[in-house]
Amino acid sequence: MSYTLAEQSWLSKFIFRAAPASDSAAWSDGLFMMIFWFSTFFFVLLMVLMVYWTVKYRRRPGVPAPVSPHHNTPLEIIWTVVPSSALLVIFILGFQGYLSKTVAPTGALELRVSAWKWGWAITYPNGAQSPETKFLEESADGTVVGNKYPIFYVPENTAVSLRMSSQDVIHAFWIPDFRTKMDVYPNRFTGYTFHTPTLGLEEEVFDETVGQNIPGRDMWVFCAEYCGDEHSRMAATIRVVPQFIYEQKLAEWNAPKDPVELGKQIHEGRCAICHSVNGTPGTGPTWKDLYGSQGLMSDGSTVLKDDNYIRESIYIPAAKIVAGYAGNMPSFQGQLDETQLDGIIAYMKTLSQHAPQPAGSDTGAEPATESTESQPNETTGGGQS
Amino acid sequence: MSTIDATHTGPHGHHEGSYLDGPAGFWSRIAQWAVTVDHKKIGVMYLFAVLFMFFLGGVAALAVRLELLDPVRDVVQPDGTSVTTGYILQSIFGATDGVSGNEIYNRAFTLHGAIMVFMFIVPSIPASLGNFFLPIMLGAKDVAFPRLNLLSWYIYVFGSIFGVLSILMGGVDTGWTFYTPYSLTTDADHWRVVLMVLAAFILGFSSILTGMNFIVTVHKLRAPGMGWFDMPLFIWAIYATSIIQVLATPVIGITLLLLIFERIFRIGIFDPAMGGDPVLYQHFFWFYSHPVVYVMILPAMGIISELLAVHCRKHIFGYRAIAFSSLGIAAVSFLVWGHHMFTAMGELAAMLFSALTFLVAIPTAIKVFNWIATLYKGSIALNTPMLYTLAFLFLFSIGGLTGLPLGALATDLHLHDSYFVVAHFHYVMMGGTVIAFVGGIHHWWPKMFGRMYNEKVGMLGCVIVFIGFNVTFFTQFILGTQGMPRRYANYVDEFQLLHQISTVGSWLLLVGFLVHLFNFIHSLLAGPKAPPNPWGGLTLEWETESPPIEHNFHHEPIVKHGPYDFDTVVPPHCDPKDFPLPDKA
Ligand code: HEC
Ligand SMILES: [Cu+2]
Repeated sequence: MSYTLAEQSWLSKFIFRAAPASDSAAWSDGLFMMIFWFSTFFFVLLMVLMVYWTVKYRRRPGVPAPVSPHHNTPLEIIWTVVPSSALLVIFILGFQGYLSKTVAPTGALELRVSAWKWGWAITYPNGAQSPETKFLEESADGTVVGNKYPIFYVPENTAVSLRMSSQDVIHAFWIPDFRTKMDVYPNRFTGYTFHTPTLGLEEEVFDETVGQNIPGRDMWVFCAEYCGDEHSRMAATIRVVPQFIYEQKLAEWNAPKDPVELGKQIHEGRCAICHSVNGTPGTGPTWKDLYGSQGLMSDGSTVLKDDNYIRESIYIPAAKIVAGYAGNMPSFQGQLDETQLDGIIAYMKTLSQHAPQPAGSDTGAEPATESTESQPNETTGGGQS
Repeated sequence: MSTIDATHTGPHGHHEGSYLDGPAGFWSRIAQWAVTVDHKKIGVMYLFAVLFMFFLGGVAALAVRLELLDPVRDVVQPDGTSVTTGYILQSIFGATDGVSGNEIYNRAFTLHGAIMVFMFIVPSIPASLGNFFLPIMLGAKDVAFPRLNLLSWYIYVFGSIFGVLSILMGGVDTGWTFYTPYSLTTDADHWRVVLMVLAAFILGFSSILTGMNFIVTVHKLRAPGMGWFDMPLFIWAIYATSIIQVLATPVIGITLLLLIFERIFRIGIFDPAMGGDPVLYQHFFWFYSHPVVYVMILPAMGIISELLAVHCRKHIFGYRAIAFSSLGIAAVSFLVWGHHMFTAMGELAAMLFSALTFLVAIPTAIKVFNWIATLYKGSIALNTPMLYTLAFLFLFSIGGLTGLPLGALATDLHLHDSYFVVAHFHYVMMGGTVIAFVGGIHHWWPKMFGRMYNEKVGMLGCVIVFIGFNVTFFTQFILGTQGMPRRYANYVDEFQLLHQISTVGSWLLLVGFLVHLFNFIHSLLAGPKAPPNPWGGLTLEWETESPPIEHNFHHEPIVKHGPYDFDTVVPPHCDPKDFPLPDKA
């Protein structure tokens, strides 16, 4: 079942960009190319006839069109039956390929995907979640960055099955390299399966946590079902790595961590799409100087943003809405546990001048961002008192 | 043609004026048009209304393409600060209160889709050219229910006003499909979404009334001598379209109404937070919206059949096959809605819907074969309508064939909701319907307005539109297979080149349409007077004057030949020397 990266033809590169990453992906590319050649053949045939006849039988003044039949039953039967049988073949092959993408083999590694506006998380069988993030793309000169998106590790040459659900609206989990996607719903589980490839010898990716290259291959994940403002930034990276690295990562993620570091990781993976840490207002208020401040709520009341307020904001965001914002923060109840909550609060403290700075803590915040505060926006106090 | 010469005075000796004649004075003119029950005037009013909507939707499309010229990036400056670049629309419109650059984009594509689907393409051909020509081609004085016809026009205007109101209030960002639960929760404290949904709901009534009117007209008002199989294929197509409109539109009506109830009263039918089911919404929505794809394309197919026969001066090949395939498409179109939801359903349903989807491809293919065969041994004039017909055959074939990998399940899992789908339906809807519509407008322009347009300028416009179209949309097939999802305000750098090419194509399209606009305005102001039958057509509209008289014909026409008997009949008002008939063997 294992699939190694084959030499990709220029045509496949032009059409699909990335080489197919699994047997079933290669199989569906094969079907696509079969349909492509079939279509191209008939299209060219029709167009050649069209142009040839248009030129040949162009109107000449005073010359009548030659007599020709108004219909021809045998011909019409042929051109009904022949395409119909071709379509039947395409249908059957299509269904076969669909089954290989949707029906998971027994013993597949089950990953639990959850989606929200606007992010993805995967929970591994041992309960761990990946805290690692990366930019989707990096420019050569290092000047251009986008958002950081979570990295989901999967072991090579393994059957994986996804079990997915959403916390809010419909999303869709698309991995173009595996040539498959499925919608993610708030009221049911959906899923699909893929068999990860076997890595080639020289396939490497950069691991930020150890600061060096490790064997692996990165693939994009996109949200394919329109879900609102940041739909186009609802992305992630699937990273195929050797089994031992995968196991190492899982163990690492479950080990206790410095709370500030944990909070920073959670922020980057899940909250950064809406909350900045440098004062810039986004879909949600910035976390800079949030902790310990007094803030106005949409019902006109003022609250002190302490531990309990933050806890409530994360678990029951609708309870109090910050003035000037739409109440569209998803609830993370059941998604983030107490330890993670502590981490977030610890991290927020490091970002706020209202909080007593923990002595000697390695603050996760970049001090440089202090000066980058962009034009303050009247509608968004961001929690400054 | 063997009917009585219709160009001269009527039976009682008085001369009846053109339908365009009217009282002197601007306001009395307006008043006359506002209460008219003449199908021709209503058709012309529809024509201008839908073209205006096409313009609005086109502006939104240009905005969408403009935004995609450049992906959004946070660029880190040497001093460590970062700036966000690439929000082109935002930099044009300025930062409006709390609306992010992405949201501006999301509203733009929603407006584009909603306007183009509900206000432009669904009513486009049937309500304008259909209204004008269906009764004349049948030899009737008007549609069966002229007042109802006027009512559907007003309902259309009324519905469109709701849509425009919603836009003026800031627009909506739901996508034209209004998928729940997103459409239930977005902009929760605003009425814009409700207004837009209401607009679509109201427009549906206009559609139903027009459809009913046409069905009855076809059944009851055919001229003496015109059997079902003597009807022009355009009529067959409009007839099949009307059946779909009448049967499917009530479903979307009720669905949109439920959506509004759900938003306002929270009744819990589509919102999972209250035990509703978003997939149910999708089933309801596509149960209408798939057949409606054929409401959009069937009339275009009808136009192509007419244009081909007249400009090839040849009997259409396989008349019955084309007529029956229209009905076949109408029937099967009700069974394939699920193919919009392959990523949302179980194996069995997916398999059934995939099979049915391939079934609907067959009658479509048959039509294309028949059209191409019609060219064989014709006498083909290369003018603007014919060029558009050829462009249609080219583009629509691509549109149809790229439906195959979407109907096949394995490949659809990759292509669904990607740019491949966007390209596919633009090849069908724009490369098919819009191209045929513009071709049809050229073909019938002399009849509708009594003026010729400039042929060279028309052909130039057609060539620019054709090239612009392919540049815009062919690139999007490749974007889709490469992994670009649809409805994205932002994208990874690797897709930029293709996006840029596509945007340049959209500017070419704009130029092409402006050329046509110029040509039409010039024709209205200074075009040479059109003869009654400039192309040598055999259908009944070519028997009457250009523009037709108020009651279409001086005498009720009696049909004695088929609509495509070019090898046996010299067209009305034409010089037999210009129309030599082939020697009979
Ligand atoms: C969809 C965008 C979005 C995401 C993702 C998001 N939030 Fe929010 N958040 C908001 C919005 C909008 C508000 C303001 C409205 C409100 O109070 O509910 C907010 C408010 C808050 C507040 C209160 C802020 C204040 O100034 O009082 C906290 C704390 C918070 N979010 C924490 C989090 C954490 C932790 C995460 C990640 C696990 C997160 N948010 C992810 C949108 C988001
Ligand atoms: Cu999403």
